[in-house]
Amino acid sequence: MIEVRNLKKKFGDHTVLESIDFQVSKGEVVCLVGASGSGKTTLLRCLNLLEMPDEGSITIGAKTLKFGGGSVRRNDIKELRRFSGMVFQSFNLFPHKTVMENIIEAPIIVQSRPKAVAIEEGKILLSKVGMLEHQDKYPDALSGGQQQRAAIARALMMKPEVMLFDEPTSALDPQLVREVLKVIEGLAKEGQTMVIVTHEMNFARRVSSKALFMDKGFIVESGKAAEVLTNPKEASTREFLALLDDD
Amino acid sequence: MIDWFSRIRWEHLYDAELARNSLPFLLEGLKITLFIAAFSMFFALVLGVLLGIARMSKYAILRLPARIYISFMRGTPLLVFIFILYYGLPVVGVQFSSAVVAGIVGISLNFAAYNAEVVRSAVMSVPRGQWEAATSLQMSYIQSLRRIVLPQATRIALPPTFNIFMDIVKGTSLASVITVQELLYSARLISGRTYDSMTMYITAALIYWIVCIVIGHFQNRLEVRYSRYLNRH
Repeated sequence: MIEVRNLKKKFGDHTVLESIDFQVSKGEVVCLVGASGSGKTTLLRCLNLLEMPDEGSITIGAKTLKFGGGSVRRNDIKELRRFSGMVFQSFNLFPHKTVMENIIEAPIIVQSRPKAVAIEEGKILLSKVGMLEHQDKYPDALSGGQQQRAAIARALMMKPEVMLFDEPTSALDPQLVREVLKVIEGLAKEGQTMVIVTHEMNFARRVSSKALFMDKGFIVESGKAAEVLTNPKEASTREFLALLDDD
Repeated sequence: MIDWFSRIRWEHLYDAELARNSLPFLLEGLKITLFIAAFSMFFALVLGVLLGIARMSKYAILRLPARIYISFMRGTPLLVFIFILYYGLPVVGVQFSSAVVAGIVGISLNFAAYNAEVVRSAVMSVPRGQWEAATSLQMSYIQSLRRIVLPQATRIALPPTFNIFMDIVKGTSLASVITVQELLYSARLISGRTYDSMTMYITAALIYWIVCIVIGHFQNRLEVRYSRYLNRH
């Protein structure tokens, strides 16, 4: 489903990603963990091409894109993006649109779906994330957890092959974290392929089939989530997990 | 020491009857003022939005001309620009069909530069995450701009844009120096005939003020409408 090969990314002189290789199969849930600055968010954003990699290649679904040989064509970027949906740390709902307007906007103007159809599909997804009763509210009237659940529905509306989550609960008050994690867990049970950047270790152990531990732009350790996040082999992974346990 | 104060002739401060009698004549001038103002606001706004977007473009071929244009218009007095259009251009064989048209063109082109800066700052104040969300939903640059960013930028741009609108209304008075018989010109005509400059110019000032109050009222209504989605009022 996803294949990343020899991916490199620099910001100026600073190398953020050093030859990243990994694969995600259909139905797999992969967690990206690591300290801040380790490159995990950049890696996720590269998958959606919100950041443009400098070298390497990304395959998602049926589309492969190579980087490093001149500028990437706009149509190729669009095509690769078709296969993934993104959920942001800060939700990024459109504040001037209601929940329903938020989630039907792109299906209507990008995918040219009829409005009535989009609304019907929207209702199904909103009830799935527990937001149907709030469909006519503006984001400003919602809690962070509600906004994030709406944002998940918005990304799902595009029917992506892969869902990408960038620290989906990091901006939430502690008591709101669970309602969002539950929605993501539900998607995992349905077999939705997902890549999740998270600091919620218990959640990661529970929901993911694979974990990638990143440090200084490298994937230092990868494997079954339960193993990497419970009995890591690498010293840096152990150190990182020990720091989290101190909480 | 307060000699000058005691010499003020208060009885000449305001001749209400003269004001009342000259009102119909002044209102004829106001029509021209509003005519010039309305067209200038429209053109300045449209051109300003286009310029502002060009100014933010990643393409230097759009960005640089916009930048130079804005710099020139902001850096030169409107009156000088109007003189160039009305007195300068005929020298090279270009003549406007009327002074009113020259006024509208001058005011529009000049204030478009200010509008462009308002548009640019408003668009830049929309959080990056809004662009990213739109992009991740496969919207194109134009779709993101039109459907997501500009509606939010509009709310932010409303107060400064209305400042410009009021400046435009007041700026139309500069057209009086190129013989356009608008509000100020009309007031000056009567003032020259009656020698009561105080009454006539105060009356003109009050009329400008009332127009701007009405514009301010529209601003308030639009602000409420564009802030509807915010959970604070």
